[in-house]
Amino acid sequence: MRREPANRISEKGLTVWRIHGIFYTLIVLVPAIAASVLAYIFEGPIWIYMVSGAAVLLAAYLLIFLFPKIRWQRWRYEVRETEIELQHGLFIVKRTLVPMVRVQHVDTSQGPILRKYGLSGITVSTAATNHEIPALMMDEADELRSRISVLARVAEDDV
Amino acid sequence: MSEKNRLHWVTAVIELLKTLKEAIIPLVVVVVANGIGRERSGNFWLDNLTLLIFGAFIIFTTVAGYIKWKRFVYWFEDGELRIEHGLFVKKKRYIPFERIQSVDYTEGVLHRPFGLVKVKIETAGNSSVLEGSEADLTAVTCEEADRVSAVISEAKRRRRTGAQEVPEGGGEGIGALPDEPEEEAKTLFRMGRKEIFLLATFSGRIGIIFSGIAIFLSQFSDILPYEAIYDEVVAFIRFGVFMVTAAVLALMLIGWVLSVAWTYLGFYGFTVSFDGDDLFISRGLLEKKRVTVPLKRIQAVRVSENPFQKMLGYVSVKVHSAGGNAKEGGAAIGLFPLVRKREVNGMLAELFPGIDTSAELNRIPERSRPFYYRLDFFWVLPLVAAAGYFLFPYGLLALLIIPVIILAGLWQHRSAGWAVTGRQLTVRWREFTLHTVYVFRKRVQSMQERQTIFQKRRNVATVTASFKSGVMPSKAPIRHIDEADADRLMDWYDPGSRMRETGAVGGTPASGGE
Repeated sequence: MRREPANRISEKGLTVWRIHGIFYTLIVLVPAIAASVLAYIFEGPIWIYMVSGAAVLLAAYLLIFLFPKIRWQRWRYEVRETEIELQHGLFIVKRTLVPMVRVQHVDTSQGPILRKYGLSGITVSTAATNHEIPALMMDEADELRSRISVLARVAEDDV
Repeated sequence: MSEKNRLHWVTAVIELLKTLKEAIIPLVVVVVANGIGRERSGNFWLDNLTLLIFGAFIIFTTVAGYIKWKRFVYWFEDGELRIEHGLFVKKKRYIPFERIQSVDYTEGVLHRPFGLVKVKIETAGNSSVLEGSEADLTAVTCEEADRVSAVISEAKRRRRTGAQEVPEGGGEGIGALPDEPEEEAKTLFRMGRKEIFLLATFSGRIGIIFSGIAIFLSQFSDILPYEAIYDEVVAFIRFGVFMVTAAVLALMLIGWVLSVAWTYLGFYGFTVSFDGDDLFISRGLLEKKRVTVPLKRIQAVRVSENPFQKMLGYVSVKVHSAGGNAKEGGAAIGLFPLVRKREVNGMLAELFPGIDTSAELNRIPERSRPFYYRLDFFWVLPLVAAAGYFLFPYGLLALLIIPVIILAGLWQHRSAGWAVTGRQLTVRWREFTLHTVYVFRKRVQSMQERQTIFQKRRNVATVTASFKSGVMPSKAPIRHIDEADADRLMDWYDPGSRMRETGAVGGTPASGGE
């Protein structure tokens, strides 16, 4: 693989992803509780409790600890004079290259959790594709956005 | 300012028919639900409720169509096409000429007797998925249509010659032809009867016909006397499996004949012609269509060859154009639906002077062969296991699917290839059909290199080039190539690394126009 992009995303991003992981774990937790309750009412076999418990623990470990960590370690970006390079992916390492001249517009967006941590996501759109850099510090994201839009404005071309 | 023009009065009729066509299914449902098999109550209003609804609906639609026609005016002013319509809410749409991408003609059955055409004016807007990025002049006379397109192309030409100093993309664009004096459109390709017939035979439209028949039947399922039919069916089955098979076959044959006829009519007289700037595709017998594609907006060319076509020595060619409307999925436009393989390269070269169709393709390395079928096992093996377990003896037949998948993977591995020639990227891959995409670097919107853990172990990677096709992205995948090659491809695309390279070599001017 080519040289890795230089910048990591904010460390707080990791915290946000862990919070998301908690929500995803809740999605697993609800059916697990339901199964346990049903097992209790209808006096089901003991392994139902064990399986649901294990599933919840496993989901919690993967979604709250392991996956966000790998994801964060993998996430890198670099905005250079002529192109933007991104690297991300949990199991599949994806390296994306977007030339500045192809950039059509740049958006920043922020959900409630991101806002609480003073973070912001940034989306770079070309005529055909969208690319997101999640969880940057807010001022960093704003600065990046204006930098990209200045760099992208230099060369305008017919699609 | 030119005077405000109105469409031909047939517009009102067309609007009426269009609304009726859209409303036919709900209307049938209303009629069936309300009218049939109910006892008469003696009350005139109640008894004829459906008829009344029907009548009111038709009257309303007629009036609406008439008003729609009456209120619709268009004119040219300040280098814009201006359209005004609407009764209560007056809607205006002003389209600057330079924003107009193409002017398409369609000639429906109703248009023919009056010498009219429908003119569809398309802009590049992609935000207007809901509203439609175009303006339709539903029915105007041919002379008027020619006048409209003449006014528009005249305005565009004037603007272009005014902006001549600005170099246009450095000639890298696929189809960025040098500006030459407007000439008569030159016919490039005309589909013969044999080709149209072949196309019709192999087209996928047979499925559409069948689903059409199914919808038709399901609409009448309420009326059909099921019990009587059921008895008949029982008798019918007793009559013999042979008859049932024959009936099914007959139905399929009818469907096939219909589909062939439909496609034949749709593609009758398929002609591609071009002048310096635009490509014109016209086709159709009952409904004549003419589509204009500006060459400058063509993003990529795709040549496809499925095994049947290969046997007969044909390929089909599509072009991916930016813009176009969302309703048609913004998908690729059929340039040559079916064309002799040995003729295609010549015609493409004539149309796109920069294109290189004879580049030697790099093959995929031997070691990545397993990657072409291994991933499929993730979902196939559980299915096979389940089939084998639950449907015990016969379910094991599912095992036969494994060699099929491996063979398909090997086939895909052998067929795939890629090449970089100057500023052009050529990608060939096989699903079942073999696709070859020619795209210029300038038209690639972004490129992605990806690598799984398994790929990393074997030093291979997948590179995907995305380009614009209509309003959607389209992708050309180069799967499981050598990692070094993948990096080289990314470097080829990376403007920064190109600049560093040319800087290191010293003195070579950076690629122009980018």
